[in-house]
Amino acid sequence: MSAAPAADRRRAELEVRALRKEFPVGGGLITRERVHAVDDVSFTLKPGRVTALVGESGSGKSTVAKLLLRLYEPTGGSVLLDGQDIAGDRGRKSALEYRSRVQMIFQDPFDSLNPVKTVRHHLARPLAIHGIVPRGKIDERVNELLDTVGLVPPEKIAAKYPHELSGGQRQRVSIARALAVEPAVLIADEPTSMLDVSIRIGILNLIVDLKEQHGLAFLYVTHDLASARYVADDVLVMYAGQIVEQGPIDEVLERPQHPYTRLLLSAVPDPSLAAEARVELGAGQESAAVDPREGCRFLARCPIAVDVCSHVTPELVLDGFGRGARCHVTAPSPRSREETNGRPDQ
Amino acid sequence: MKRLHAPGWLRLLLANPKSRLGLGILAFIVLLTAIGPFFASKDPNAFNLLAARQAPSWHHLFGTTDQGSDVFAQVVVGARRSLLLGFAAATLATTVATILGVLAAYSGGLVDEGINALINIFLVLPTIPLLVVISGFLKARGLWTMVLVLGLVLWAFEARILRSQAMSLRNRDFVQAAKAAGESTHRIIFGELMPNMISRIAAAWVLVFYIALLTDAGLEFLGLGSLQKPAWGVTLYWAQTNSAVLQGEWWSFIAPGAALALTVLGLTFLLAGIDEVSNPRLRTERVGGGLAHRLTELILPSRPARPRAEAS
Amino acid sequence: MTVAVDLPGTPGSARESETLIDVRGLHVVYGVARPVHAVDGIDLAIRAGEIVGLAGESGCGKTTVASAILQIVRPPGRITGGSIRFRGQEITGLGKEELRKFRWRNVSMVFQSAMNALNPVLRVGTQFVDMMQAHERVSRGKALDRARELLELVGIDPRRVDSYPHQLSGGMRQRVIIAMALALEPELVIMDEPTTALDVVIQREILQQIQDLQRERGFAVLFITHDLSLLLEVADRIAIMYAGEIVESAPAAALRERAQHPYTNGLIESFPPLTGPRLKLAGIPGSPPDLAEPQVGCRFAPRCPYAKPEDAYLYFRQTNEHPELREVAPGHLVACHRVEAAQ
Repeated sequence: MSAAPAADRRRAELEVRALRKEFPVGGGLITRERVHAVDDVSFTLKPGRVTALVGESGSGKSTVAKLLLRLYEPTGGSVLLDGQDIAGDRGRKSALEYRSRVQMIFQDPFDSLNPVKTVRHHLARPLAIHGIVPRGKIDERVNELLDTVGLVPPEKIAAKYPHELSGGQRQRVSIARALAVEPAVLIADEPTSMLDVSIRIGILNLIVDLKEQHGLAFLYVTHDLASARYVADDVLVMYAGQIVEQGPIDEVLERPQHPYTRLLLSAVPDPSLAAEARVELGAGQESAAVDPREGCRFLARCPIAVDVCSHVTPELVLDGFGRGARCHVTAPSPRSREETNGRPDQ
Repeated sequence: MKRLHAPGWLRLLLANPKSRLGLGILAFIVLLTAIGPFFASKDPNAFNLLAARQAPSWHHLFGTTDQGSDVFAQVVVGARRSLLLGFAAATLATTVATILGVLAAYSGGLVDEGINALINIFLVLPTIPLLVVISGFLKARGLWTMVLVLGLVLWAFEARILRSQAMSLRNRDFVQAAKAAGESTHRIIFGELMPNMISRIAAAWVLVFYIALLTDAGLEFLGLGSLQKPAWGVTLYWAQTNSAVLQGEWWSFIAPGAALALTVLGLTFLLAGIDEVSNPRLRTERVGGGLAHRLTELILPSRPARPRAEAS
Repeated sequence: MTVAVDLPGTPGSARESETLIDVRGLHVVYGVARPVHAVDGIDLAIRAGEIVGLAGESGCGKTTVASAILQIVRPPGRITGGSIRFRGQEITGLGKEELRKFRWRNVSMVFQSAMNALNPVLRVGTQFVDMMQAHERVSRGKALDRARELLELVGIDPRRVDSYPHQLSGGMRQRVIIAMALALEPELVIMDEPTTALDVVIQREILQQIQDLQRERGFAVLFITHDLSLLLEVADRIAIMYAGEIVESAPAAALRERAQHPYTNGLIESFPPLTGPRLKLAGIPGSPPDLAEPQVGCRFAPRCPYAKPEDAYLYFRQTNEHPELREVAPGHLVACHRVEAAQ
């Protein structure tokens, strides 16, 4: 890079507290049902660490990503960048400032690029909007960015249109675009799920490099536990809008506490895993997030549910190492124990 | 001497065979409109009942109407008014439709509901009574009144279509990415959304052009215009009322009809070219070929330049 | 892993080793102006009752192979060479009527993004009826009964015949498609990425379902996917495709233990493990060749870690001579100069 990045600016903590987002079901003006897409989600993204947000479709993970990017406004809870609550920032100037520090890489490598614009346009626009470099230096910086993400020769790539690039190349352009504003936090929403298998590792390695060399804070949103393990330091497992388990990733994968985490682990294709070791699956879907009542949302699919699970929502209590699970049975919180003990067994 | 550089988009349109043909046809029509009147020695409105309903001859190139007016003169002089009318009405209606449609789609919420309601109202109102009411308010008569009226009547259905397209584009990742990069709403609409809508907007324009020309005659009859000023729609209208088909007087409707059809054909080819040119994926490389191959190229949809990388 | 068990009355037990599909030297080309050789000389055999996996990444030609077997390659694609036999009968020359009978009855297909293959404005039952009536003379009532049977077979409540596709979840729609593919009791079902668009848990369910059905009904499966780890679990035999050719073909167990082709190994090493030490993986740098260009030598050479100019003789062969498939162990074929040299 021609200018040394301001060390302070590029390292920041993004904290999320009790984040909530509800959508009306059906999308009309007059509707009663609301889906709690994100409910009581809290975590912190730290510089130089990758946090994986793992969940299936309907879990709310993409909504969390969009909330962090301010593409949606939260229904409740707060997002703090370096301790400052961003909800207060209404003006264009502060919104722009936020956007220069938190960026996103999208899932669909083709859809995230405007088909009628060149690669150069995609990278030049953020540079121009945020005034990263003087106008005359834009082309030079575009080439540098392409170089950083491994797209060479940069001059030739810059002139191409998205459809002239392969999926992996397009994704690298997306990453370059996100890096253009010199952000502190990068949110990657399933960046490799639409890429060929052999290309994925390249993108994942790039993410690890960026984390290590530039001290970026990453949120890696995925449904693939294996790739999460490859890049991430910490993991958050989401189900029906809530975090059901979190902690250092090796810990969670070796000793999963929540039944859903165990389910996910057993579902991953792994040739060395014998068929018997797989957990039996119950039926049921993510309708648990629509107008949820009190009680555990995983109840319908849970093999170890007990009585208290049906009328008391389990809490997520973290220990000193940031480890915890939202389950009355495997990780009962003090309140769970109260509820359980207070009732006669039925 | 400095070489003249045609703007990029024009060069692209000239390079594409479909739009090239379209532009050629349109250029021909415009030329005819410009110089034709010098060759039409007859006054298009002059009527001579003795010469009525005559088939084409050297004296009357396209024959005469039931009133004895020269059809050729009507077509050629009328072209000016028709083209101008069509062009202006289409531009007005499409501009309104685009602005309102895209605004509704991008803003969402109350703005969307409001514009939607407006569109519905305009779609539901019966055209003729609407026009009668409008004509009551407008004192002036003439071309620009017609343009205004046509624009008012024809914007609504296109607005709805453009709104849908804009809505589907709005949710695409690249628009979200532009927003996340800090792009202003203004630039997102004009820089990211609209370039992806060019071919649909152009298609809307052509459709309104065509409808405007045909509707024009009917409106003139209602007293909103002047049936004295020649226009293709007017000539067609009279031919129809006078049962030209039944009488076998093919010249009185074939001539203006062909002129209209040819214009629309030219526009359609231009449209097809715009379709290809505005989508970089369809800018195919041309391979030289014989006449049959080139004719086929004109009619068939183009193949993308390269199969998409993800097709197995 | 399916094990051939000879139960009395099990369909297919008597014809275990019979070859259903025999593809030899298949060539499929797309386009006229700049022809792309999507499939460039493939041999593939599928025996009754076995699950054959066809693995490869985008653009390798695997879906084209499936289309060719069903004779549904659409222009500008066309089969330019080779033969495809079903139970010994050549199908490339078949007439329309015979092909129509062949499709779906003998061989059926579950398409990629099958969820979108369902007509959104028709009920599920209607779509079954339409499909069945296209192939046999059967009353609507009977067809609906059969539809209910099939839904039950794939684990869906039979009352769902009255549902519209959007009322079903993604996993359920996938099962509906599979049920449709089984309606006429075909001997071979081709599945093109049947679980790719699904969540990992649903994917596991569907895979389980497919395996159960296959054990029960005895049909053969050609399972096409880019996810080699799935195939290593589920398939009997696996063929790896790269740039329009098969580069390795072996029983799944052999591939798991000792894959020989560098591309196969590259693929296997592209799956980060869930257990064990966390090491940095290399993936496979570069991208597949442009099949519109004439290919010389080994197509994988530009990306191969073993293609080094220092090994002059080997390098010369890799860049000039096309590697042929050779048997390196019983049932295990590899097309690789280096492997050949080591034999």
